Amino acid sequence: MSSIFRGKFALILKIIILAGVTAILSLLAQSAVASGEIAIGVFLIISIFALNFTYFTKISIPLKFFVPGILFFIAFVIAPILFTVLMSTYNYQTGNYIAKDAAIEQVLIRGVEPDANQTTFDLVSGKAANGSDAILVSDIANQNFFISTEDELTALDAGELTINEYGVATTAPGFTELSADELAKSDAYTKVRYTYSDGYYIVIEGQGVGAVFRQSLAYDEKSDTMKNLQTGEIYVDNNRGNFVLEGSPEVMLTPGWRAPVWFENYAKLVTDSRVRTPLIKVFIWTVIFASLTVLSTFAFGLLLALALNRKMHGRRIYRSILILPYAMPSIMSILIWGGMFDTEFGAINNLLGTDIAWFSSANFARAAVLLVNLWLGFPYFYLICSGSLQAIPSELQEAAAIDGANPRQVFRTITLPLLLQILSPLLIASFAFNFNNFNLIYLLTGGGPRNTLDGEIAGATDILISYTYQIAFGRNILDFGLASAISVLIFFLVASISFYGLRKSKVMETFG
Amino acid sequence: MTKWLRENLWRHAFAIFMCVFALFPLYLVVLSSFNPTGSLNLTSFVPREISFENYKMLFSSPKIPFLSWVKNSLIIASVVAISSVVIGAASAFAFSRLKFKGKKFGIQLLLLVQMFPSILALSAVYVIMERVYSFAPSIGLGTQAGLILVYLGGSMGVNIWLLKGFVDSIPAELDEAAKIDGASPMQTYWLIFIPLATPVLAVVCLLSFIGTFNEFIVARLFLVEMSGRTVAVGLQQFVGGQYASNWGAFAAGSILASIPIVIIFLSLQKYIVNGLTAGSVKG
Repeated sequence: MSSIFRGKFALILKIIILAGVTAILSLLAQSAVASGEIAIGVFLIISIFALNFTYFTKISIPLKFFVPGILFFIAFVIAPILFTVLMSTYNYQTGNYIAKDAAIEQVLIRGVEPDANQTTFDLVSGKAANGSDAILVSDIANQNFFISTEDELTALDAGELTINEYGVATTAPGFTELSADELAKSDAYTKVRYTYSDGYYIVIEGQGVGAVFRQSLAYDEKSDTMKNLQTGEIYVDNNRGNFVLEGSPEVMLTPGWRAPVWFENYAKLVTDSRVRTPLIKVFIWTVIFASLTVLSTFAFGLLLALALNRKMHGRRIYRSILILPYAMPSIMSILIWGGMFDTEFGAINNLLGTDIAWFSSANFARAAVLLVNLWLGFPYFYLICSGSLQAIPSELQEAAAIDGANPRQVFRTITLPLLLQILSPLLIASFAFNFNNFNLIYLLTGGGPRNTLDGEIAGATDILISYTYQIAFGRNILDFGLASAISVLIFFLVASISFYGLRKSKVMETFG
Repeated sequence: MTKWLRENLWRHAFAIFMCVFALFPLYLVVLSSFNPTGSLNLTSFVPREISFENYKMLFSSPKIPFLSWVKNSLIIASVVAISSVVIGAASAFAFSRLKFKGKKFGIQLLLLVQMFPSILALSAVYVIMERVYSFAPSIGLGTQAGLILVYLGGSMGVNIWLLKGFVDSIPAELDEAAKIDGASPMQTYWLIFIPLATPVLAVVCLLSFIGTFNEFIVARLFLVEMSGRTVAVGLQQFVGGQYASNWGAFAAGSILASIPIVIIFLSLQKYIVNGLTAGSVKG
């Protein structure tokens, strides 16, 4: 048995596995660096060294156990956290999403203008004699015909052409028209700037039509500015991810790029009332939601645990039924509840004989969220409380009873305080969990109702985390910078709640 | 008799009330899954007729690639559960049994990070995987392999923490004895620790399976293609707001998808309840 773990066989196996992993990681690192993702590439290279050093030398035995875990942990836990912090200092949103060089490229592509008459031509796409993309252009008004490629323009004589009934040339010597198949296969030919004259060129605007354009913006690398070639206007980098017109910073070229703005996203949380007001509203509801959930699930769970805290008929059956909401995949339960709250056909309205539009009214939606979360959460506290009730030494209660306390007094003065002491870390953990209970909100109400007509992002049942998700991935806007800033804020809130809980649990350990 | 009533009536009454509350949605969903009209509108709370129309639809309708959703979920959840336990167990063993510099710092970092809700870093994960896609399209955003990597990495903190808790509860005498007999840490790990810890590892593996099976939001962002989705995403998108029209098939699908999870959960009840008191919370 032990020979598997030492000796030649193990060594060969080790070499094969490591060689394979090294090869894959090297390939990935190479293409990462090649496509400009330096940080990812460097991480992969470090991983390769770490793996090979750890398993081929004896520098550290614990490391042999740790390395795979550490690498995954860094790549998918630590790196995203650090990246979130980094993004929170960036102007990183719709319109400022790409890197600077890609943005410059885009600005230049968009920085064109048509000629004064907005001239258009009929044309046929094809290949020139040398095989490059070409167009056969018919300037019908002036009876001019020519073949144009990216590099040159060849004038033609009308005599050597086939001209159809609309006056458009369809064939010319040295010109091969693209077949329908070729046209469909690739759109590369539509991206070519075909030569015209005096700095103007022709771009294909649609099937058989081209228009005359010229470049109006040029990028000057040395001064890092954009210049309008016709008017001479200069656009400068505003250090926030856009080129703006010198002297009037509100005129900007699009698209912009992601650029560091330091604490601006954080400042927005406080100073910009369009961000601050919904944030405060959402924060208050988050705290109410999490508190009421903990309170209600704990109360019902405890009451159940007390009710079933003695030998009685049917206790096992009760227990196995009561645990079901907890055993069900919560996603399914939430979706099922969503259907039950349907206004027209839902079982709830059916049962109550009402026709309440549950998810269209703020208060009804909130009540529904709390009710569903009670259903999802009470079995947890039922299980915990029944376990803890048995852990409380019965001598204490018996002693109190002998001293003449009635059961209610025993519960209020002995059992409950002890229980709260034991369970407080779990109550806090539950609070922290519900503080970020994204699935419930997202799947049940989607955070709504919200007034989308006013461009409102925060809905009545949105909690911080679902609000953040709306900001990062919502339909109307996409602002990773602001979303990351709120994420960092939530992290500090949750971390302090959890640390408080942790200290409580330390207290519990010493308590016994 | 009256004494029995006084002491027990409220207990039974309350327990029955809560049982009805707990069962109500489940009963309804079972009922509608057998309802031939497939409509959300239940004319009565008692079944009139039992039909398997909705179940048949799941397996035959091209609109709902239910089987491939289930297959995707099973593959993704199994790969994540097994790999994360294989990788996590080694780290947990080292944290629990080996002595090395920086151990205390490592444990504290782990504790801090496993409290960080991974959903907070969602946009960062999204951007990172978008960039990975730009040079390695087969493991980047939008692929199941990428999703598995994200789950695997994301579960690392919590799993190592959970495993460490379990490993701490396995008596260390045996591996100390092995060490005295001259076994290397590697031998101790493979020959003593792994056989001892197998039941525990299996439990953590199943818990991780449930957790991954249940995950929704990352899967939603990652899996755009209809047939590549997981059950959770597929059913959510399918019912997506239009409860009225697709209800029957959704009900049948959610029952089928839930049964294995409920069975695993109930059979692991003891461990989960122990884990609960150790401070982990399931959604």
